[in-house]
Amino acid sequence: MFGIPDPQIWIAYILCIALALACIIYGLLYWNREDA
Amino acid sequence: MVANTGLVAGVTAIYVVVMLALGYIGYRRTKAAEDYLVAGRQAHPVVIALSYGSTFISTSAIVGFGGQAANLGMGLIWLTVLNIGLGVLVAFVVFGKKTREIGQRLKAVTFPDLMGKIYQSTFMQVVSGLVIIVGMPLYTAAVLIGGAQFIKETLGITYATSLVGFAIITAVYVIFGGLIAVMYTDAVQGGIMLVGMTILLAATYIILGGVTTAHSALTAMSSLVPSSLAQQGMTGWTSMPTLGSPIWFTLVTTLVLGVGIGVLAQPQLVVRFMTAKDNRSLNRAVMVGGPFLLMMTGVAFTVGALTNVYFFQTQGRIALAVAGGNVDAVIPIFINSAMPEWFVVLFMVTLLAAAMSTLSSLFHAMGTALICDVWGRGRECALSLKANRLGILIMIIASVIVAFMMPGSIIAIATAMFMGLCASAFLPVFAVAVYCRQPDPLAAKASLVTGAVAWFLWALFVNARYAAVFGLTKAALGKASIVGFPWSAIDPLVIALPLSALVIIFLQVVRNPRCGPEPQPQ
Repeated sequence: MFGIPDPQIWIAYILCIALALACIIYGLLYWNREDA
Repeated sequence: MVANTGLVAGVTAIYVVVMLALGYIGYRRTKAAEDYLVAGRQAHPVVIALSYGSTFISTSAIVGFGGQAANLGMGLIWLTVLNIGLGVLVAFVVFGKKTREIGQRLKAVTFPDLMGKIYQSTFMQVVSGLVIIVGMPLYTAAVLIGGAQFIKETLGITYATSLVGFAIITAVYVIFGGLIAVMYTDAVQGGIMLVGMTILLAATYIILGGVTTAHSALTAMSSLVPSSLAQQGMTGWTSMPTLGSPIWFTLVTTLVLGVGIGVLAQPQLVVRFMTAKDNRSLNRAVMVGGPFLLMMTGVAFTVGALTNVYFFQTQGRIALAVAGGNVDAVIPIFINSAMPEWFVVLFMVTLLAAAMSTLSSLFHAMGTALICDVWGRGRECALSLKANRLGILIMIIASVIVAFMMPGSIIAIATAMFMGLCASAFLPVFAVAVYCRQPDPLAAKASLVTGAVAWFLWALFVNARYAAVFGLTKAALGKASIVGFPWSAIDPLVIALPLSALVIIFLQVVRNPRCGPEPQPQ
C-alpha cells in the first residue's frame, strides 16, 4: 500500500489516522459534557 | 549550509521578543503560588491541548526519534499510534479528568504534591520529587542537545554557545512567568510547530516525487541496510525488523513501549490536567491534541526514514553514513541540504519552539519538585515564589552540565530512559491514586520504590544500551551487560513496570480490598 509492502507498517499508519479522527469525534461529541 | 545571517537574526529576534513578551504577560498575571504552579486552574482548552502537545513533543521527538527512523525505519510509526491512543485519548479521558477533579479538591499544585495528598504521605511526595530531580535532567539534557545541534548547524556558531544561549532564553520566561508564561509560550510554539512540520512533510514528498514513489524508492533500498544492522534483524526501512531480533527488541521495547507508555505518567504532563477549569476543557483539548501529535511524530518518523532516499539519490549514501554515524545529526543535515533557505530558517524556529516548549515545562517541573516537594514538602509552595524561582534556576544549571557530559546519538535513548523510569515508578501509583476509593499508602510506597529501583538496576547492569551510557558495568566487569541476549536487549520498563504494578495490586488487595471507584453523586 502506497509503496509500503509490510502490513505491519501500513496498518500502523491507518491506526494513527483513525485514532486522530477518533480524538476529533470525541471532542465534538463531548464538547459540552462536564461529567467525568 | 549556513543560512543568511541577517534573515536568521531577524526571525530569531522576532521569535525571542514574542516569547519574552508572553513571559512578561505570565509574570504580570502571576499573583499567587497557584498561578505560578498550575496557571490559576483557568487555562483555555486550546492552550491546554497545544501546551500538552508541544511539551510532549520536543526536539527529541523530531531530531532524535526522526534520526532513529532514518536508522531503523518506519517501524517507529507504532510509537505515533501509542502517542495518540495512550498519550492523548487514554491520558485525557481516563486519567485527565479524575486528576483535574482530585487535584482541584485537594489543592495539589505539582505531581508529587498530588501523590502526597492522595496517599496522605510525605514519603510519597518526597520520593516522587527525588525521582524527578534524578531522572528528568537526563531528558532535559537530551532536549537541549537536540536544539543546540540544529542551531549550531544553521547559525554556524559553536555548540557550547548554542546550548547555553538557548537555555538562558528559556530560563528567563520560565523563572519569571511561571506556568502561565510556560503555557502561553507553549501554545504559540505549538502553532509554529504545526506549520513547520506540515510544510516539511509536503516538501519532502515533493522533492522525492510523490508519496508512493518515495516509499517505493525506500523499499527498493533494503539491500543497502548496513550489514551490522542486518545481522541484528533489520530487514529494510519500510518493514519491521525480524521478530525477536536485537533491533526488534530495541525498537519495540525501548522506543515504542518505553516512550509510548511512559507518557502516561510524566509529571510535567500530568500538571496540565490540573490547569483545566472543568472537564469540558479537557474534552475539547482532546480534539486538538490527537491531530497535533499525528502531525508531529507521524511526520518526524516518516520524513526521518525518507531521508535515506534523498541522500541516496543525491550522494549515493544512506542517511547514517552522511551523518557520520550520529543519528542525532541526520535531520539537521537533511533540512540544511534539501530545503530552501527560508524553510531552514522556519524549521530552526520550529525546532526552537519544540525544544523551548518542552524545556520550559521540564525546568518548571524540576524546580518545583526540588523546592515544593523535596525541600519544602508542600510548605514552601505556598510561601515563596522566590524559592521556586531559585529551584528552577538550580535545576537549569544542573541540566546544562548534564548536557555537556552526554555522548553522541543519545537523544532518543535518554528520552526513552526518562519515560520508562516515569512509567515504572509512577504509573501504577498514579492509576490507583485516581481510581481507588481508599488507596493504601504502604502499597504505594512499596510500588514506587520497587519500580524505581528495578528500573535503575536493570538500566545500570542488564540492558546493554543503557548500561553503556552509565558505564558502570563496563568499568566494573569489562563487559556491556551482566547477562546475554535476549535479556541484555530488553528495556528496563518491560521488567520494572509489571513488578511495580504487581506490588501495588497485591498489597492493596491484601491490606485494603475496598478499592472501587469513588461513588458518583446522585
